[in-house]
Amino acid sequence: VTAPRSGARRNLADFTLPSVPGNERRAMEEVATAVSGLGLPERTLERLKTAVAEATMNAMEHGNRYNPEVPVKIQVWRLEECLLVRIVDRGGAPPPSPNAELPDLEAKLEGAQSPRGWGLFLIKNMVDEMRVSGNPDHHTIELVINLKREDDAG
Amino acid sequence: MPAKQLEASVRQEPGGAVLDLRGEINGFAPQEALDAAYAEAEAKDPEAILLNFEGVDYIDSTGIFLITRLLAKARASKRRLLAYGLSDHYVEIFDITRLSDFVSVFPDEESALSEASVS
Repeated sequence: VTAPRSGARRNLADFTLPSVPGNERRAMEEVATAVSGLGLPERTLERLKTAVAEATMNAMEHGNRYNPEVPVKIQVWRLEECLLVRIVDRGGAPPPSPNAELPDLEAKLEGAQSPRGWGLFLIKNMVDEMRVSGNPDHHTIELVINLKREDDAG
Repeated sequence: MPAKQLEASVRQEPGGAVLDLRGEINGFAPQEALDAAYAEAEAKDPEAILLNFEGVDYIDSTGIFLITRLLAKARASKRRLLAYGLSDHYVEIFDITRLSDFVSVFPDEESALSEASVS
């Protein structure tokens, strides 16, 4: 994993967590602590926490198959105009497609679509940008919050 | 951080049955206990079931799945499902997932019961 190159940057957190059910809550709280000095609006912070928890859960479950010996790596970067959270697992399968079928509640209620499958949809809707990439050794999901807009709004 | 496992209990009110939820609605939530509580709420054949989220501090994508299951049960028996006590963040998630198109969301029990009683 390389550091982002664009503009002024500051690393706010860099840690790993074992792939154990429930550790998404630890990831969420550690990221919240890391960004506490940025003065994010409450709504933005809550959205970020949900996105981090869901992305970490996906990484632990689908990437690392909940193997506690295989960690999820989480980095938080303050870039010039955005906040970047990068979550890396060691999955070897193709990364989840950001363009996967959208969950449709009505279809789920009628049994025409799996009742699950809300995670990626929630993540996409909680952040300004979601990037997914991968190679044979790992998957990376990047969550981006535009800070310029937050400044303007505040 | 230890998970606060979901607990559910039922009480009958004049406007409908209230399903009081406490803890976290996530992968740790005991689905059988939620199903049993919902079945108890249905036992007296109320027109409406109210989901009380005042004691819920965390809902994740698995929780959305579990709430969708309750909604499917309510629709199958042509029963109204109402919700109250959600934080602003979870009201937004109900909107994004379109749960709020099917589950009427109210700020508190009084307004939810009032709506349940007049319909």
